[in-house]
Amino acid sequence: MTEVQLVDVEKRYGSFVALQKQSLTIQQGEFLVLLGPSGCGKTTTMRMIAGLEEVTSGKILIANELVNDKPPKDRDIAMVFQNYGLYPHMSVAQNIEYPLKLRGMDKATRNKRVLEIAIKVELESLLKRRPSQLSGGQRQRVALARAIVRTPKIFLMDEPLSNLDAKLRVTMRAELKHLHHELGVTTVYVTHDQMEAMTLASRIAVMREGRIVQLDTPKNIYSKPDNLFVAGFIGSPSMNLIEGDVRSGFFRATAVKIPVQFQDATSVVLGVRPEDLKIVSKNSAPITASVYAIELTGESTLVTMKHEATSICVRESADYEARINDVCHIAARTTGKLHLFDKSTGQRISTCSVKPTKC
Amino acid sequence: MRDRYFPYALLVPAFVIVLATTIYPLAYSFITSFREWDLTRQRRPSDFVGFGNYQHAITEAAFQSSLWVTIIFVFTSVLLTLVLAILLSLLLRRQGPLHTFTRIILILPFAMSPALIGVSYRFMFNPEFGVIAVGLGSIFPTLKGIPWLANPNLAMAILVLTDVWHWTPYMTFMCLGGLASIPRETEEAAKIDGASSFRVMWEIVLPQMKGVILITAILKTIFALKMFDQVVTLTGGGPGISTETLAYFVFKVGFKWFDMGYASALAWVLTLIMIFISFWYVRILLNENRAIIK
Repeated sequence: MTEVQLVDVEKRYGSFVALQKQSLTIQQGEFLVLLGPSGCGKTTTMRMIAGLEEVTSGKILIANELVNDKPPKDRDIAMVFQNYGLYPHMSVAQNIEYPLKLRGMDKATRNKRVLEIAIKVELESLLKRRPSQLSGGQRQRVALARAIVRTPKIFLMDEPLSNLDAKLRVTMRAELKHLHHELGVTTVYVTHDQMEAMTLASRIAVMREGRIVQLDTPKNIYSKPDNLFVAGFIGSPSMNLIEGDVRSGFFRATAVKIPVQFQDATSVVLGVRPEDLKIVSKNSAPITASVYAIELTGESTLVTMKHEATSICVRESADYEARINDVCHIAARTTGKLHLFDKSTGQRISTCSVKPTKC
Repeated sequence: MRDRYFPYALLVPAFVIVLATTIYPLAYSFITSFREWDLTRQRRPSDFVGFGNYQHAITEAAFQSSLWVTIIFVFTSVLLTLVLAILLSLLLRRQGPLHTFTRIILILPFAMSPALIGVSYRFMFNPEFGVIAVGLGSIFPTLKGIPWLANPNLAMAILVLTDVWHWTPYMTFMCLGGLASIPRETEEAAKIDGASSFRVMWEIVLPQMKGVILITAILKTIFALKMFDQVVTLTGGGPGISTETLAYFVFKVGFKWFDMGYASALAWVLTLIMIFISFWYVRILLNENRAIIK
């Protein structure tokens, strides 16, 4: 069942186009993440679903009902803001209670409900405090509690974890994921953090300059990026992108000659992830370059190699050792994937698995 | 040794100026308030009369009247100024060329001298050729020819009006400052939580303005307590003594009746009221700052 539908929605501020005519369908119970760099229109999109921004043209439907002219309060949504948006003059309990109070629920039911939710997000001992007396993580939980205290049709979350420290962010991420599983409410989540997007989403909409450039499951976004932007944006470290040509079964660039299963083409970009490459001792290996930097991340070693202007990153095992300026040879792992993009349009032409003999 | 005393030496000029212009007159008037000093007969203050001047004040009807006038004036002008300032600041809060223009011209009343405001209003309420008096008279024939400033209640109302007109812009700016510091997200959150525009204002925006409203109210109270200029130029304290404020009464006793001892005692009554309110003000201000640091 469809929960949220955007049909040719456009948003302009004067002559500036924040969102170019976009359509998007979000299924019931789905966790949809809008991902992109700042200024890509992801927050604008969410604020239009919330009703905090008007659409310039197009239609927004929630549960098959046109909501373009409905104020936020009639859309049956709940939202978690980046800076939490807590009411500073109210206690934690009053903050959580406010949406219920506005809906005319009686005091006794309200108190019961607030306590239930507070226990769920582990705030029961802090109910009497003011937001200013809480830590960032606790404030985050109050904002979350206020959103889930009534069961709305949709949750909207605008970079809710971006103000937390790295460790807390990982914990809260897991809590959010569990909460979504438990409540099953359709969620739209805005972030610029690809890790959050990958871990939380049922589907990711990658946005750039007011357009959705790819909408797919995290798995497909990662393994089959539609274009150079998605290929470069998703993954840390990002995918290696090498400009070159394909001629008679080989991708060729300076110091690079990789056997591929692609048709001959000029001006293409080969994309390959660091974990799909390995360093080998063979002289005949497809890529030759010298070691530029070695970074140990704990579970693996990232080796950045350079040949003239081309820079290539390889993920090696944690015990890999090399010295800077060593000349090494790189080959593709047999389990890996190679992507070929058109250099002028940026679109993916084809993806193939690495097969040592054929490919 | 030189280094140790040098900083204090630098402070001496400032200290001397403050001593000569503020502390000495304050102390002198305090002492005078316990003495008898009739300028028409004595060059210098004479005997100490203990609390005589203060007792005189408590029992005198003119003092009681001026105190009562001051209370009514302060209460109505503070209340009206505040309500108007809050409403105006909510209206002017949005961004736009028209809002900016209005904000700029709004400062004009505040840029005017209070004494001139009194003179202007005196003219405007002249029953024969005053623009407001004649204008009202032609719209509502029953109001034609009313001697506005000759009626005690109307004169008081006009006195309040001039003060509200003078101070509302400045207080509006203070409220605008307070509004600007409220995070936009709290209002948006309330809208999404299901609050109507009115409830967003009443339950979310206004409570967050509490601090600035309180400070504005106390400041305005202190300013209103000193009301003097328009009393002189608009009503002259009249009709009768119906618009004589405490500040004006002190002036009258001191510089019309030349009873310096009594005037000093009265001035000290006014000063004590203001010190009490200022103390309260500073305390709230400090608490606000502490809350921000927290």
